[in-house]
Amino acid sequence: MKKGMTLRSRTRTFVGLLAAIPALALPAAASATTLFGSGSSAEQPILNVLFRGYSQAHHNIRFNFLPDGGNAGVKDVQAGRREFAVNTRPPLPSDSGTTQFKLFLDGLCVAVNPANSLSDLSIAQAKDIFTGVDTSWSQVGGSNLTSTIDPVGRNSSAGSYTFFQSAVLGGKTQSSNVHPVTSDGLVATAVHGDPNAIGYVGLAHSGKGSGIKPVALNGVACDTANIKNETYPLFRFIWGVVPTSHPSLQVENFIEWVRTSKTAGQIISRAGAVPAFNR
Amino acid sequence: MSSAPASLIAAPSPPPPAPVRRSESSASWRLTDRIGLGFAWLLGLLFCAIAVAIVGYFLVEGLRYLRPNLLVTNPAASVSESQTGGFLDPLLGTVIIAAMAMAIALPTGIAIAVWLSEFGRPAALARVAESGIEMLAGTPSVVLALFGTLLFEAPALGFLSQTNHGIVLGQSFFAAAAMLSLVALPMVVATVREGLQAIPSHVREASYAVGKTKIATTRRVLLPAARPSVITGAMLGVGRVIGDTAIVLLLLGGTLTFSSATSTPLLGTLRGTGDTLTGYIYYNAPTGDGNQPSKAYAAAFVLMLIVLTLNVGVDFAVRRSRAGGWN
Amino acid sequence: MDDDILLEEEQGWSQDQRAEYMLGALVCVVVALLLAMLIFVFHEAWPSFAHNGFAWFGAGGSVDSQIQAIFTSGDLKEAAVYTFHAWPLIWSTILTTGAAVVIAFVSSLFVAVFIVEFAPVRLRRVLEPVVRLLASVPSVIYGLVGVLVLVPFIGNHLVTQHEKASVTPIIQLSGSSVLAAVLILTVMIAPIMIAVFAEGLRAVPRGWLEGSLALGVNRWRTFWKVAVRTARPVLVAGTVLATARALGEAVMLSMVSGGVGFAPNPADGLIFLFEPSRPLAATIISNTEQLSSPPMKHTLYAIAAVLLFSAAMLSLIGWAAKQPMKRYGVVA
Repeated sequence: MKKGMTLRSRTRTFVGLLAAIPALALPAAASATTLFGSGSSAEQPILNVLFRGYSQAHHNIRFNFLPDGGNAGVKDVQAGRREFAVNTRPPLPSDSGTTQFKLFLDGLCVAVNPANSLSDLSIAQAKDIFTGVDTSWSQVGGSNLTSTIDPVGRNSSAGSYTFFQSAVLGGKTQSSNVHPVTSDGLVATAVHGDPNAIGYVGLAHSGKGSGIKPVALNGVACDTANIKNETYPLFRFIWGVVPTSHPSLQVENFIEWVRTSKTAGQIISRAGAVPAFNR
Repeated sequence: MSSAPASLIAAPSPPPPAPVRRSESSASWRLTDRIGLGFAWLLGLLFCAIAVAIVGYFLVEGLRYLRPNLLVTNPAASVSESQTGGFLDPLLGTVIIAAMAMAIALPTGIAIAVWLSEFGRPAALARVAESGIEMLAGTPSVVLALFGTLLFEAPALGFLSQTNHGIVLGQSFFAAAAMLSLVALPMVVATVREGLQAIPSHVREASYAVGKTKIATTRRVLLPAARPSVITGAMLGVGRVIGDTAIVLLLLGGTLTFSSATSTPLLGTLRGTGDTLTGYIYYNAPTGDGNQPSKAYAAAFVLMLIVLTLNVGVDFAVRRSRAGGWN
Repeated sequence: MDDDILLEEEQGWSQDQRAEYMLGALVCVVVALLLAMLIFVFHEAWPSFAHNGFAWFGAGGSVDSQIQAIFTSGDLKEAAVYTFHAWPLIWSTILTTGAAVVIAFVSSLFVAVFIVEFAPVRLRRVLEPVVRLLASVPSVIYGLVGVLVLVPFIGNHLVTQHEKASVTPIIQLSGSSVLAAVLILTVMIAPIMIAVFAEGLRAVPRGWLEGSLALGVNRWRTFWKVAVRTARPVLVAGTVLATARALGEAVMLSMVSGGVGFAPNPADGLIFLFEPSRPLAATIISNTEQLSSPPMKHTLYAIAAVLLFSAAMLSLIGWAAKQPMKRYGVVA
């Protein structure tokens, strides 16, 4: 026979080693209940922390969240595929069969590059910029630049885009000269890298270390306090969606915890969003 | 017959040694030929430079952010980046999914290649199979991912993923690995087939002459001889599987850590959801919502290291196999 | 050995027949699976094609607003809207894929020739692993390099203020452009081509080259006229493989090609290189979150069907291109 290991024995060893790897992945506790949810991918980071916080307090509950988009999340709940969904847009008539709860607040900040001296913008001006009416910074009062405006926005499947469209653009489509990117992080990167850029991002991405400068809208700054007292124009609620018939009790307890508990409130504010009803 | 003394008729001295010229000098060529050679040099070096630039960029950025504990800590959800843990689960996820996909693709691919090259009757089926595999090679992984979402939500395949209240959810390691094996399959088939066809027919004839059946010849003579091709095909397949993002995004569920379906040790994990390094990088880089670019760079560095090791290991294995060739 | 012959006479099916049928059955299963995929995808895609007819492939209106109208109609459960004219997306795909393949073909051929014949041994030992390494770099890494390095470079240093002002407010020359997409796609598919070409060039019988050299032809001409010409089927195969990869690239292109459904116009001169666009595969991946709306699902599957069809056409073209080469007895 051949010297050394034959192909067969070598294959067996290899397969044995490979089969051992998933065993390294710790299996779940036997009595855990998994709550299946889906929805907004932009909220996934903060939701993961909330899931973890809740699981630490209630050891037999685990969560499985599929980030397939807010609209798909609602459809999942309507079809019974998931027990809850998280959405960033207000309820619509087509969401029949679901009950929706306000979880916490978030805001959409309009930000410019730090090289731009602009600090205040009216909603009408923002609309003009993002619908292609104003094309040069010289047309916008308060800016020291005279170059072309480079607006950066989100792609059409994003909840932020739909929100911006209804709250600022009055239902009109974003102009084709707005550069649509697929995440808030890319908006921040684009605005940070281009002195002529202006874009809209969630509150969490426009903080101190992000390298971009949020401007005040209609004189109201984009910060936690103004969002909490709802004076900032672009505030929105993040919604939790459950089925109206036979909602899971555990899911409802979780939603109540997110809305009202102190721990959840701390998590929400440290993550860059704004707690609405928490103690 | 001459009786002249040896000193008068000297043995002819050997001619002077021919001038050894290593290779033809291009100085004697026409201008267009010299330009062509210069262009080839330029492109070769440019290619090297680009490769070094790309690999170097991630090496530098990754080394800046990579710490060994990232490799062994599970990811955790947290608001502060220092507490979000490492990427052990995505790393294991990559290894698992590559292993599963190749476990399906390699035997299937070799079987198809053997059938196509050694048997191949009826000819119509052979042609359909060839075209099918070529079409599969050209199918975007996004299309395979879409098809996978259709396929694995069917109730009949519920055992391959999780079920919630009787509705099949469809995201799991099995689902992703099945679709990824389709991505790797054409590579394996093409390379193994080429390797088998490169073996001259006298080898096969010699084996038949001593009485071996076709299948025994294939198993004992041809496949071992084609081992470099098999390894190359497997490596190309693994490379594509590791690098795929679209199928992972749609079919793996995107949970931070392994989320097992049941508490059965192995099957539960494979039926559950998880993440891979490519998904982790996409999520944490500015392209996703995770907002942890330093971890994304570290993970990208580890991914490049895996790819590098794969390449080096395969090089080594191929060279060792080639050393014992039959030429 | 004797046992094999005895067995063959005794049993109805010989070992070989059994093996052949089993392997054949496996091949049938795989072919059936592929057929099922084709049928499923086209079945889901049919409503979108049925509502639009051939106008699906034409131009007309803004693709992005059509996509949004399609999605909202399904999401709000209104009467389904299917109007979709995908020409800007198709043109963008043709443009990026075509340009990348052409540039990659020329460069890969030269690099492959260089690697196989003209590189000094040490350089060859460096280049070969480098090619294989680049061929296996994941596309997300290329995408990151593109988004973080190439796109800002193009946007801030190559595009001038004057050029930006001349096209606003129709489009924005942000750096995510045809140029960025073509460059990265070229670097992505070139290693595949180089690897395949190099294998093919190495398989050329040495005797043929030596014969040409013996006749006095210089090395460069010998290699080009004899080896490259002989390896033409391999060149076709490599190009088909690379084109297929370029067609299917979704994630990377969604990051660097611009994301707007705009058809770049070559008549714009230099600005044409900087115009944004969005190929078909990138459109699918940026709209996966809208699959829950039925008309949108049908439209996305229609785009997938078009991509599948082009993959099938590609292999057909490759086969057709190799046919005339069979005359010379070259294994195609």
